[in-house]
Amino acid sequence: MMEILSETAARALAHAAEAAVDEAEAYVAETAATGIKVYGGKVEELTGGSSRGVGIRVFRGSAMGFAYSSDLSREGLAATVKAAVKNAQVTAPDDHAGLPRPAAGYPQGELYDPGVTETPLQEKIELALEVEAKALAYDQRVSQVEQAVYHEAQSKVAVANSLGLEGAYRESSCYLFVQAIAAVGGEMQTGISFSTARNPRDLDAPACGREGASRAVDLLGAVPVESMTCPVVMDPFVTASLVGVVGSVLTGEAVQRQRSLFAGLEGERVASEAFNLVDDGVHPRGLASAPFDGEGVPAGATGLIERGLLTGFLYDERSGRRDGRRSTGNGIRGSYRSIPRTAPSNLRVTGGTATREEIIASVDKGLYVTGVSGVHSGANAVSGDFSVGATGRLIDAGRLSTPVRKVTIAGDILSMLRSVAAVGNDARWVPFGGSIEAPTLLIAEMSVSGR
Amino acid sequence: MLLESEMAERILREAVSRGGEFADLYVERRRSLTLSLEDGRLEKCTSGIDVGASIRVVHGRSISFVSTDSLDEQDLVAAARLAGEGAAAGCGEVKALAADGDVPVQPVKQDPAAAGVSSKVSLVEAAESAARSAGREVAQVSIDYGETTSEIQVADSDGRLTGDRRTRVRLTTRVVARRNGVIQTGYESAGALGGMELFDEFPPRQIGRLAAEKALVMLDSRPAPRGRMPVILHRGFGGVLFHEACGHGLEADAVEKGSSVYAGRVGEMVASELVTLIDDGSLAGEWGSGAIDDEGTPTRRNVLIEAGHLRGYMYDGVRARNAGVASTGNGRRQSFRHPPIPRMTNTFILAGDAEPDDVIAATERGFYAKTLSGGQVDPATGDFVFGVSEGYLVEGGRVTTPLRGATLVGNGPDALAKVDMVAGDFEMNIGICGKEGQGVPAGSGQPTLRVSEMTIGGTGE
Repeated sequence: MMEILSETAARALAHAAEAAVDEAEAYVAETAATGIKVYGGKVEELTGGSSRGVGIRVFRGSAMGFAYSSDLSREGLAATVKAAVKNAQVTAPDDHAGLPRPAAGYPQGELYDPGVTETPLQEKIELALEVEAKALAYDQRVSQVEQAVYHEAQSKVAVANSLGLEGAYRESSCYLFVQAIAAVGGEMQTGISFSTARNPRDLDAPACGREGASRAVDLLGAVPVESMTCPVVMDPFVTASLVGVVGSVLTGEAVQRQRSLFAGLEGERVASEAFNLVDDGVHPRGLASAPFDGEGVPAGATGLIERGLLTGFLYDERSGRRDGRRSTGNGIRGSYRSIPRTAPSNLRVTGGTATREEIIASVDKGLYVTGVSGVHSGANAVSGDFSVGATGRLIDAGRLSTPVRKVTIAGDILSMLRSVAAVGNDARWVPFGGSIEAPTLLIAEMSVSGR
Repeated sequence: MLLESEMAERILREAVSRGGEFADLYVERRRSLTLSLEDGRLEKCTSGIDVGASIRVVHGRSISFVSTDSLDEQDLVAAARLAGEGAAAGCGEVKALAADGDVPVQPVKQDPAAAGVSSKVSLVEAAESAARSAGREVAQVSIDYGETTSEIQVADSDGRLTGDRRTRVRLTTRVVARRNGVIQTGYESAGALGGMELFDEFPPRQIGRLAAEKALVMLDSRPAPRGRMPVILHRGFGGVLFHEACGHGLEADAVEKGSSVYAGRVGEMVASELVTLIDDGSLAGEWGSGAIDDEGTPTRRNVLIEAGHLRGYMYDGVRARNAGVASTGNGRRQSFRHPPIPRMTNTFILAGDAEPDDVIAATERGFYAKTLSGGQVDPATGDFVFGVSEGYLVEGGRVTTPLRGATLVGNGPDALAKVDMVAGDFEMNIGICGKEGQGVPAGSGQPTLRVSEMTIGGTGE
């Protein structure tokens, strides 16, 4: 099957060769996904979908045009090439534009597990049902499980360009997701959790169900607290949300476009010494791992922040050329319908040593944050302004106390990174805001707004 | 029609061949074009075609849904067979398809497909030049233009055969302004269900200039305070707050499961008597409109809250059937690859009779939210947060200092109850609403109004 995609890419390039373009690239992808939602012990929704298509980039001189289609017939490919050529007549020339040359080789690593295909559907349904059952059994106050979901996707990707670059791979992934509701009297609280893997048999349904339930139950009775400035402990979900925002502007492209709060800070201290951040496109557990990026450049690991110092940025081919650097393999494509853009692959916060319990015990009076909301609107990675809704627990004399809701935590992103006082050794993979391995973090001081 | 009715009928028969009370077929052909200008250059010109279909079978409280990137009968029959596998036994019924003759497809005055690409490049360049010339501190300008034309066809086992043709255009401007290390951003957009006539009403130069002015004024801002105070929501953008704060809780899927704070409360007072909340997908030219929803039900005006009283919820076909009511025309989906779920269309609060200036003058100390950047709600609790990208302090009845980094925190029912002044002005805004991984165009609107108390989450005093 992989050969069919590569052959399609080659046919697309043959059409482009007839069209008098200087460079051309074809990216072909095929995805099959299955989703299962259960509710009240029964299957509520079963979804299946398959999609395949091609995205074609052409360069006339240094002007780029792009077009995509799900029609992979001879006529479809010809029409798509023609549309891309037409689009290249509209765009402005770009001195740094161009496609990557063939790589010496690609990193090896198994991203596909036949378990997604071999596991019977009934077994996958059982997984979702088990998530629901374990959440309900966790505590009497769990009134219902609004969502218990199993989802899987298998993709095949092939990329080829007119400079001779060629690559193909396939991957599989699956996850469980739960949203549980705890209720007492008229009050309701929600809690979420998930489990991710490449083979459904590696998913942890009981832990997923229990964690979603415990997050809901722990918030019962939550109230806003007085506004204060205090230490804030972020749990891994919250750390991941913050790191996702930070990572989105640790790219050469964001800096070049004056859209990064890290512009001009390379080599400078941007975080406390305790903080390390790496983009790792080949980590076996990272669901964004792949042998190469959306333009065929080998993926790898790029240090971004080391012991608090800003050591580098992520690049795709174009932004790399503009800074006189090599692509770091971060030309990420959402699908065959989009042009690659510079973005993180898997982000990992590394080097933490403290346990979660030690971090909480070190705080006399502060806030333990287990959920944030409004991150896409409240965190501005250009200006650095950060103010998001938060839920969690008060920390009183080193122990978790009153549940808290309807408050915000705010600060500016650089100040927050510079006041990271401890990093936990409990890093876990979180699929929010990207694919991020995130631990518990202690921020020495943040502004909490409440009553 | 994308598929002949005989073929659609054969596919539906296959879908219910093993049982099921209801099946539908959704066919879509979408053409899109986008232009992106950044760094002073027209960087991207992208076009694409998405063609495909999906089949859904409902049996009891279960739904099976299969989509495919193909309109070949063989592929569609295979997809229908797969969707039908979930049904237990027996054979469902398919009524003969009869075309809905009287669906008033929304008019497009100037079809973007007929306009040359160079005229669109001119629009983008006009917005850019207006933004650049707004001030020397403008450091970066990005303009995105997008157009889509989507032809859809819906056929179902109840004999419905209908379709729609939806053309949408949108222009957005993002500006970064910089002064002495302070960086601020501004955003402005316009969009419509319609064609290039949008730009007669909203000239690109105006969109560009407004975005730049927002970024420039925020250069003089100081950190927003924290704590509770009255909040005045400027007309237009505040609508998205009500979209989040109560709209999602009025969608029938959350209501059906009892996981909405508004479940079981029809007839009760859920807001201040000054609040009347409407969802209307039939409004001519509005961003979230369509002749029909994505299950083929004609769109209509639905009164959700009338003078503070909860009147009803927003239903798609499945939830309406479960509840024994008629669909309200709110079954929407991102594309043929997604199953329909209850969604808002254009959601807005009706204008009141106060003067906008009087709302400000009546406020001794408060927060004036002029532009919101979006937000999020937990429908179970009603708790919401909102980012404010352009906000001001109100002191002694006057708008004074611009404030940055503010987030509004509140609770939907609580905020609705605390609406204590509603002005007579009104504006709609456009956005993409995300739910369960699906993004759909949604309009929201409101007059200038005041909420007597909300929490501001800033860092200042």
